[in-house]
Amino acid sequence: MSIEIQGVTKVFGDFKALDRIDLTVPSGELVALLGPSGSGKTTLLRVIAGLESADEGSILFDGEDATTRHVRERGVGFVFQHYALFRHMSVFENVAFGLRVRPRKLRPSREDIRERVMKLLKLVQLEHLGKRYPGQLSGGQRQRVALARALAVEPKVLLLDEPFGALDARVRQELRSWLRRLHDEIHVTSVFVTHDQEEALEVADRVVVMSGGRIEQIGTPEEVFHHPANEFVMHFLGNVNVFHGRVEGGKAVFGDVAVEHGETATATRSSEIEPLDDEAKPAKVFIRPHEWDIAVYRNGRPAMEAVVIHVNAAGPVVKVSLLSESGEPVHAELPLEHYRSLELRTGQRVFLSPRKVKVFFD
Amino acid sequence: MARGKRHRVLPGFGLTCGYTLTYLGLVVLIPLATLFLKTSSLTWVQFWTTVTSERALFAYKLTIGASFLAALVNSVFGLIVAWVLVRYRFPGRAILDALVDLPFALPTAVAGISLCALYAPGGWLGGILQKAGVQVAYAPLGVVIAMVFVSLPFVVRTVQPVLADLDQEVEEASASLGARRWQTLRRVVFPSVLPSLLTGLALAFGRSLGEFGSIVFISGNMPGRTEIASLLILTRLEEFDYAGATAIAVVMLGMSFGMIFVINVLQTWSRRGAV
Repeated sequence: MSIEIQGVTKVFGDFKALDRIDLTVPSGELVALLGPSGSGKTTLLRVIAGLESADEGSILFDGEDATTRHVRERGVGFVFQHYALFRHMSVFENVAFGLRVRPRKLRPSREDIRERVMKLLKLVQLEHLGKRYPGQLSGGQRQRVALARALAVEPKVLLLDEPFGALDARVRQELRSWLRRLHDEIHVTSVFVTHDQEEALEVADRVVVMSGGRIEQIGTPEEVFHHPANEFVMHFLGNVNVFHGRVEGGKAVFGDVAVEHGETATATRSSEIEPLDDEAKPAKVFIRPHEWDIAVYRNGRPAMEAVVIHVNAAGPVVKVSLLSESGEPVHAELPLEHYRSLELRTGQRVFLSPRKVKVFFD
Repeated sequence: MARGKRHRVLPGFGLTCGYTLTYLGLVVLIPLATLFLKTSSLTWVQFWTTVTSERALFAYKLTIGASFLAALVNSVFGLIVAWVLVRYRFPGRAILDALVDLPFALPTAVAGISLCALYAPGGWLGGILQKAGVQVAYAPLGVVIAMVFVSLPFVVRTVQPVLADLDQEVEEASASLGARRWQTLRRVVFPSVLPSLLTGLALAFGRSLGEFGSIVFISGNMPGRTEIASLLILTRLEEFDYAGATAIAVVMLGMSFGMIFVINVLQTWSRRGAV
């Protein structure tokens, strides 16, 4: 089932949680709402679920207006960050709940319920724990029970609020790829909220980046990562070095370095300046840590001089902290083999040339 | 120090446990033992005739029946009061919250006097009720009302913190799974508060069993009609029948112990699975 959100606004007191949000989620897609806390992502999810009502705008399910529909009639499965399991019920009863509360006419028979619950428990790999109580399960198991419970009512839309937020890193990683596989199996339209950009980029078909109650960018993980629409998205999706510079004659200039910024800078929201203007325009230059080439000697490429301050070589990617000539901290990342061949030492003077820069006008 | 001994931040098990036992012995066990000692001056036959006299039997029935009724009434209304206090914010809520404790603090004689003034045939409510054919003062109903009054805080105060701790997401989860409001209440909210409700019920019941001060004012103390067990004990004492008084007391003790035990079992049962 597709979801259409049209001009939805939600205000709590004098805090605008959602500001005229427009968003379409096509049927069968797995979409991530990504943003820092307070960006309105959870509120948007709750508005879709019907747990919160929109002050303005409307929600359409498959083209049908569902704005005023009660949560129990929306046919959504909701998974909460802290599981919200029924503690006094066994795992089996938790999953069966949605079927048991149906009106008599629609309620499956006892055997059907049993069969369906067992099938779901198998799907979430907990078929042997049906008799346990939530208090006896680990966090990851609880979240899988919550997911099975939400799926039991065969929702047309699955909504997950920071589903892995309360879990430790390894379980999180496991459940993440498991969720992706599950979605590929059952293909239910799903929206999940996260503040973890890695999670969003890894799991989702499409990522919706939010901040301050507005949508900053919508795109595939690749699009939002490689072609961020604005500074916020650039900052939010991974580490980035920022230099105050200018754009002059089609080149990005910061410090002593002037480079072609291959990709035409997308104008920021406020300005529509033609970037190829000869006149110098002040701009911010963004360089991701892995986009640096580090050289021990000057090799003719435009480069900035910097001193190595700290090296973290624990892992396949080596993280190097440097200090530029003008005293700005710079972060760079390079493959382990490359790092070994360079023989970098703390205190060493090196030359940094960016392979790719991204420019946003001030 | 012996190896393998657990180290605690605050030592002193020996001291505190010794103190606990001494204190319990002095304050609880010795008086109760005296009760049995005094009763044992009766022969079995004497004991049996005393505790099964018609007047005594009626007093037990009234006391336990009225206490149970009062506890039941309070578990329904106390639950609602707790719900309102926890779930809603409204002007005057703090005052209402404080009012709940009033029966705790009020001397029971004061409660008795005011209930009596209110429900006596010449009183405000009493007059109206009498016209409707309901007699409260000097009738068993008066006993129940006095018990309801004094035991109200017990249910409210035991249920309130549990309700406040209830995760509202659980109710949202229930609604999102298609449960109607009453289904959410019955299947999700109620089972979560049931253990604390049973505790409240037990406490209210215990409090009502022991209530004396307010009841003697409103009940009229008619043997075989409105006389509660505590009053019968007092009457026996005033007749210098100490052994007879303690015999009835022993029976009351046994019964209330049994009741509390049953409720505790119920509580454990209702808490199964919860961690």
